[in-house]
Amino acid sequence: MFYKKGNMQNGIKKALFIVMFSLLSAQVFGHGDLTKRINEKTREISESPKDFRLYYERGLLYQQHIEYTKAQEDYLKSRSLGNTDKALQYRIAEVNYLAGDYNAALKSITSYLEVDGSSDVKAKKLEAQILFELGAYKKSLYAYRYVIDNMRDLRPEDILEYCDIILAENDKNQVAALDAIESGLKLLGPNTLSLQLRKLDLLKNSGQIEKALDQYNYFLLEYDRREFWYYKKAMYLAEINRPKEAIISLKLATGTIDRLDMKFKNMNAILKLKEQIKSLEAQL
Amino acid sequence: MIKKSTLILLMLFTVNSFSQTATADSPIATSIKNTPSVVVERGPYLQTGTPTSVIVKWRTDTATESVVNYGKELGSLTKNETSKVLTTEHEVALSGLTPNTKYYFNIGNATEVLSESVSGDMYVITAPTPGTDQFVRAWIIGDPGTANAFQRQVRDAYYNYVDTTATNTGKTDMMLFLGDNAYSTGTDEEYQSAFFDIYYEMFKKSVAWSCLGNHDAYSADSATQSGPYYDIFTFPKEAEAGGTPSGTEAYFSFDYANIHVISLDSHHTSRAIGDPMYNWALSDIQNTTQDWIVVLFHHPAYSKGSHDSDIEDRLIEMRENFMPMLEANGVDLVLNGHSHSYERSYFINGHQGLANTFSLEEITNGGNTVGATGKGDGKEDGDGVYQKDSAQPEGAVYITTGSAGHISGGDLNHQAMYISLNKLGSCVMEIEDDGNGGQNMVIKFIRETGEIEDYFTINKTGVTITDDANEPKAEVGAESKKVLYVAGHDLLTITMDRNERLKKVKIYNNIGKLVKKSRKKTIDVSKMPKGMYAIEITTKNGTYIESVTIE
Repeated sequence: MFYKKGNMQNGIKKALFIVMFSLLSAQVFGHGDLTKRINEKTREISESPKDFRLYYERGLLYQQHIEYTKAQEDYLKSRSLGNTDKALQYRIAEVNYLAGDYNAALKSITSYLEVDGSSDVKAKKLEAQILFELGAYKKSLYAYRYVIDNMRDLRPEDILEYCDIILAENDKNQVAALDAIESGLKLLGPNTLSLQLRKLDLLKNSGQIEKALDQYNYFLLEYDRREFWYYKKAMYLAEINRPKEAIISLKLATGTIDRLDMKFKNMNAILKLKEQIKSLEAQL
Repeated sequence: MIKKSTLILLMLFTVNSFSQTATADSPIATSIKNTPSVVVERGPYLQTGTPTSVIVKWRTDTATESVVNYGKELGSLTKNETSKVLTTEHEVALSGLTPNTKYYFNIGNATEVLSESVSGDMYVITAPTPGTDQFVRAWIIGDPGTANAFQRQVRDAYYNYVDTTATNTGKTDMMLFLGDNAYSTGTDEEYQSAFFDIYYEMFKKSVAWSCLGNHDAYSADSATQSGPYYDIFTFPKEAEAGGTPSGTEAYFSFDYANIHVISLDSHHTSRAIGDPMYNWALSDIQNTTQDWIVVLFHHPAYSKGSHDSDIEDRLIEMRENFMPMLEANGVDLVLNGHSHSYERSYFINGHQGLANTFSLEEITNGGNTVGATGKGDGKEDGDGVYQKDSAQPEGAVYITTGSAGHISGGDLNHQAMYISLNKLGSCVMEIEDDGNGGQNMVIKFIRETGEIEDYFTINKTGVTITDDANEPKAEVGAESKKVLYVAGHDLLTITMDRNERLKKVKIYNNIGKLVKKSRKKTIDVSKMPKGMYAIEITTKNGTYIESVTIE
C-alpha cells in the first residue's frame, strides 16, 4: 500500500483535525466539574474585567456550585457594570432565597415582578416560596394560586407545595388542602400517585377514618401487586385500634405474597415485608 | 449534472409517493402535486409507544393540518388520523393498533403527503403485550449531542451493527437516550443539529425515550415542564405505556414486552427519600410484574470519569437514596451518562459508599458482588455470565455510558467497575431466550470503529415458567391443624376434627369487606367473583383467619 502526497497530506490534516477537535471538544463539552468551568470563567473575566455578561455567567456557575455568596457578588458586580437584564434581577432574588435571605429575596422579586414581570409564572412561584418562608402565608397562597391557574404544565410537586402553604396558613384547613389535591388530580390525571398519597395523609391527619380506609382500598384496587398496600392498611387499622380488620388485611398481604411469582418472593423488599407482617401480627 | 439527477430522483420519488397513497382511503389520496408546498423540518419521530398506540410528531415550516396515513401494508395505508388544527408542531396519536404489529405510515396535511418512505423505512412496530418474552433490542445512547463527527461515527457503528447482525437484523425496538442530547444548552436549534439531524433515520422507525440531562436542563425547566426538552418529547404522565402514573414527564415508566423501564430525573427533581419522585419510583417498582427492570437516569451512581460519584451531590444522592430501594426490588440494569466514558460494573448489590469501600467479595461474605460469577467479567466465554434466579434475585450491573458524542477522560478507576474505557461508543441491550425457559440480557459496548469492546450477559432463569407452587394453602389454624378448608370452583368446604364444632364462617373480599356469612361447612361460592378473599372461621375453640383464592 502507498500513499500519494496529496492523500498523505489529507491524512495528516485529518488526523490533526481529529486531535484538535478532541482537545477542543474536551474543553467545550467537558463539563467535568463546575470548578473547572468556574476557573475558565475567571480566566475570561481576567481578560475582560468590564464584561458584565461574564460575571453573570460565573454567578450562575457559582449558584449551581452552591456557593451563594460568591454568586451574589458576581450578580451584583454584573449589575454595577451595567447589566439591566431582567434575568439578572430574577437570579438575584433566587440566590437570596437559596441563601436564606428572604427579605432581600422578596425585595428583588418584587421589583422584578413590577418591571413587566407580573405574569411571569416562574417568578410568581418564587415570590410565593419566599413569602412562605417569611410566614406571609395568605400572600403566599395568593401568589401560588396564580401559579396553579397559569402554569402551562403543572407538576404534582406544585400541587403538593400549594397544599403545604394552605396548611401552613391554617393547619385545620384540610378541606381546602383536599380540594387542591382533587383539582390537581383533575389536571394531572386521576391516578397521579403522589397526589393520591397526599390525599391519604390528609384524610388520616384529619381523622376521616372511613374515607382514609376507602383511600387504602383505592390503592388496593388500582394496583396489580397489593402486598405492600395490604400491610400499610393493616398498620393504619392497628393504629386506629381495629385489630380484627388489621389481621384480615395482614392475612390478605400474606396470601398475596404466597401467590407471588417466585421471582419476587426472595427479593429483599418482600423478605422485609414478611418480617414486618409477622411483627405486626404478633402485636395484634 | 448532479442537480439534474437529483431533480429526476425527486420527480420519481414524488410520483411514487402519490401512486402509493392513491390506494389509500384518505383525504390526501386524491390530491396530487409535484412538490410539497410545506416542508417537513423535523421528524417524523415516534413517542410513547404502547401495544396499541403511538404518537407521531413532526415539524413543518408553515402551519398546516396534521395527517398520518397508516396501514399494515406498505402500498395500502388505508387508515388515517387527522387534526385540522393548523400548526407547525404536529403531534398525532394513533390508537386502536394491534400489539406487536408493524404499521407503515406517512405524514402530510389535508392536501398532500409531506414525508414518506417508498422503501418502507418509515414504520412503527407496536410494543408487545406486557409480559411477553421475546427478543428485544434497545439502543442506548448517552451524552451524544455534540453534532460532530464523533457522534456520527458512533451512530454509524450502531447502524452497521444492527444492519449486519445475524439475528433480528435491522430491528431496533427502542432508543434509550441518557440525557445531554444536545450541547451545550439543549436549545431547540441544538436539538435540531445534534439530535434530529443525526438520528432521523432511526427516529422514523423506533420509539425514542430519554431522561433529562444537565445540559438539556439549561434550556428546559422541569418546574414548569417547559423548554425544548419537554416540548420535543412526549412521555407518559398517566401510565399510558404501563407502570404507575407520575403526573409528570420528568420521571415516568413504561413496559415493553417483559421489561419494565423506569426513567428518573436526577437533575431538577428532588432526589430525597420520601419526596414525590422517590415515592413514585418505590410504588412503581413494587407494582411491576415484569421479568426485567431497567432504570435510567443521567447522573451516575458510580463513576470516576469526567464526574466523580464520591464528591458530586446528585450522584451521591442517587446512589444513597435510590439504589437501596431499587436494588431491594429487583433492578437488573442501571444506565447512566454524564461522565463521557464507558464504565461498566461487576454484578453488584448494596454498595452505597465511596469507591474505595467497594469489596469484590461476595455479598454473602460481606462484600458487594453477587453470586459465584459476580466478580467476574460476565462473559459466557470468560468467567461466566451473571446469574439471577428466584433463589437469588439480587444483583445489577451499572453502566455509565456517556461517550456517544465525545470523551472526557477522568481517573476511570472506580473499584466497582469491571472495565472503564475512555472511548467513544454506545451500547446495545438484547434480551433473548436462553433455550432453558429463561432469558439472557446481553449488553454490548459498540465502539465508533464498530469493534465490540465490552460485553456481558445477565441470565435469568424461570422467565417463562409459571410457579405451580403458588397454590393457596389448604389449611387454616396451622398451630392446631384442626380446621381445614378446600376452595374449589363452586364450593368452599370446611372440615375439622371431632373436638371442633363450627359456629360461623365469614368471607371478606379483597379489600376486607364482609361479603358472605354462613354457618355451613360447605358454602356455595359459585357466584362470587374470582380472586382472593379472607375467610374467618369461628369454632367453639377459637377463630381462625386465613386467605383463600376462589378460582
